[in-house]
Amino acid sequence: MSSAISVRHLTKDFRIGLRGLKLRAIDDLSLEIPRGQVFGLLGPNGCGKSTTLKVILGLVSATAGEISILGELSATSAARRRTGFLPEAPYFHKFLTGRELVRYCAQLSGVAAADLGAAVEDALGLAAMNEAADRPIGTYSKGMLQRIGFAQAVVHDPELVILDEPTAGVDPVGSASIGRMIQAMRAKGKTVVLCSHLLGQVEQVCDRVAIMDRGKLVLEGAVEDVLSRRDRHVMTIEAMTPAARAAAEAALEAHGAKITSVTHPRRSLEDLFRELVTGSHDA
Amino acid sequence: MPDMKDSLRRTLWISQVTFLEAVRQRFFAFLLVLGAAMVLSSVSLRVFDFGHGELKFIADFGFGGMFFFGSVLAVVMTAQLFFSEIDNKTALTLLAKPLSRPEFLLGKFFGAWAVLGVFVLVLAGLQGVVLWAREQELILVAEQAGKIPPTFSIVGLGQLVLLQWLRLGVVIAIVLAISALARTFLFTVVVGSLAVVAGQLQWIAQDAFLRPTDSPIYAAFLWISTRLIPNLQQFNLADALVLGSSVVEEGALISVGLSGLTYLVAYLTLGALIFRRREI
Ligand SMILES: Nc1ncnc2c1ncn2[C@@H]1O[C@H](COP(=O)(O)OP(=O)(O)OP(=O)(O)O)[C@@H](O)[C@H]1O
Ligand SMILES: [Mg+2]
Repeated sequence: MSSAISVRHLTKDFRIGLRGLKLRAIDDLSLEIPRGQVFGLLGPNGCGKSTTLKVILGLVSATAGEISILGELSATSAARRRTGFLPEAPYFHKFLTGRELVRYCAQLSGVAAADLGAAVEDALGLAAMNEAADRPIGTYSKGMLQRIGFAQAVVHDPELVILDEPTAGVDPVGSASIGRMIQAMRAKGKTVVLCSHLLGQVEQVCDRVAIMDRGKLVLEGAVEDVLSRRDRHVMTIEAMTPAARAAAEAALEAHGAKITSVTHPRRSLEDLFRELVTGSHDA
Repeated sequence: MPDMKDSLRRTLWISQVTFLEAVRQRFFAFLLVLGAAMVLSSVSLRVFDFGHGELKFIADFGFGGMFFFGSVLAVVMTAQLFFSEIDNKTALTLLAKPLSRPEFLLGKFFGAWAVLGVFVLVLAGLQGVVLWAREQELILVAEQAGKIPPTFSIVGLGQLVLLQWLRLGVVIAIVLAISALARTFLFTVVVGSLAVVAGQLQWIAQDAFLRPTDSPIYAAFLWISTRLIPNLQQFNLADALVLGSSVVEEGALISVGLSGLTYLVAYLTLGALIFRRREI
């Protein structure tokens, strides 16, 4: 089976200003995103992540190169029917309620009238937005906007879900719940493409990552392979005394191994935060 | 034909939400109230010539309000409905769905056109009531004085509503074509307003074109501007249709209608072609 998304030698130039100065947002990018995995697209601000996603979805035209999505050579309406998209900093029609928006998106995505009610409720449930669903979107907090955005992206049960910074502006508890939604999608066999600056979370939820810098790909691979340093080892030891330590060091040295550092393990601020805080105050 | 049906449905959904957005805004209510106030205040106009001038006064005033505020609404609201989707990036969300760009633009068109349909209907309804009430009074006055009472035509009012609605449809189509090309709301409103003014004055160019001229460049300029810009003045048949001040032949109505529809379709097609290439 073909990749969920494949990008070959993609280049995108934006023309800015009246003199038509060119800004190269993507520079000869090639990527294969396999099906059924969570794929993280990382990189500093302005490195071209969102632009790449827009080109893949046909919202912006490529200057050179080609893409294919779900086996189609461009984002045809058939391909888009099987794809869900959450844009960055999402902002939806504020005069609609959350439920109206998700319903509208479901209709546009081709959900049959008979399945509409159930699909909308499922998506709202998955995004934990049932309670606030009847409030106008204009009254939502950032976290709720991201969650309703997630709901509208998955309401038609797409094979491929593309999320551009779904955790931007969301508190750690909310981020963790978005992380769980992503894992739920993977459990259902979906492909998820994720842009995020929360590297800790990317590390937890992604199977593969790619890192971009100034429009170029600098690294791509399975998270396991990319992160593990197979030449180094970490032991966690309890109740260690100075004598035990000296003995261990001597034993290791006798085998030619060298201890380069001894530290105390730290918990992350995120873990601490989540231990102390129970949940978001959003509905 | 299931594709065609799906496509129509998607267009309809876009137009429904567009309609909803427009009527939930204060701007629409504001202009509707202004227009209605203008129609109603025409009741206070009194001209003592046993009514013939008076009905014309009322009609001129009321239809003037409908015409002016309708034009403002068609330009500003259409541009706003389009740019609120682009600037708020809701267009990104929508166009990532199996929705084609022409469907999106058509949805915007029908949504805005429906809003203006409501606008024209409400104001024309009010105008009809005002004219009718005054007509009844004037009939009594005229009878006592032994003169022929003034009348107005309900059928003519209906025809005028359709013509005005069509005229506003042409304006919306022009504004959408400009929006598809423009970067900003402000630019669209300015150019759209200029286009409406040009359309109102188009008959001047048409007149000039009919006169002989030595300069082929001038003639070509006139030819192009009379083809490119629709004659919006031709829809203003209020006096003739409603008050019967002159006879309007059926053929003339049909030809005005067809010319309006042709411009409407042409500008929508142009808009869709431009919008297809736009980067969202
Ligand atoms: N419509 C546009 N016109 C001109 N330049 C643009 C446009 N969109 C993006 N750019 C430029 O292209 C580059 C890549 O932008 P992009 O939004 O893809 O970055 P990003 O990786 O998503 O960044 P962030 O992490 O901040 O979201 C930036 O330099 C940006 O200024
Ligand atoms: Mg981005």
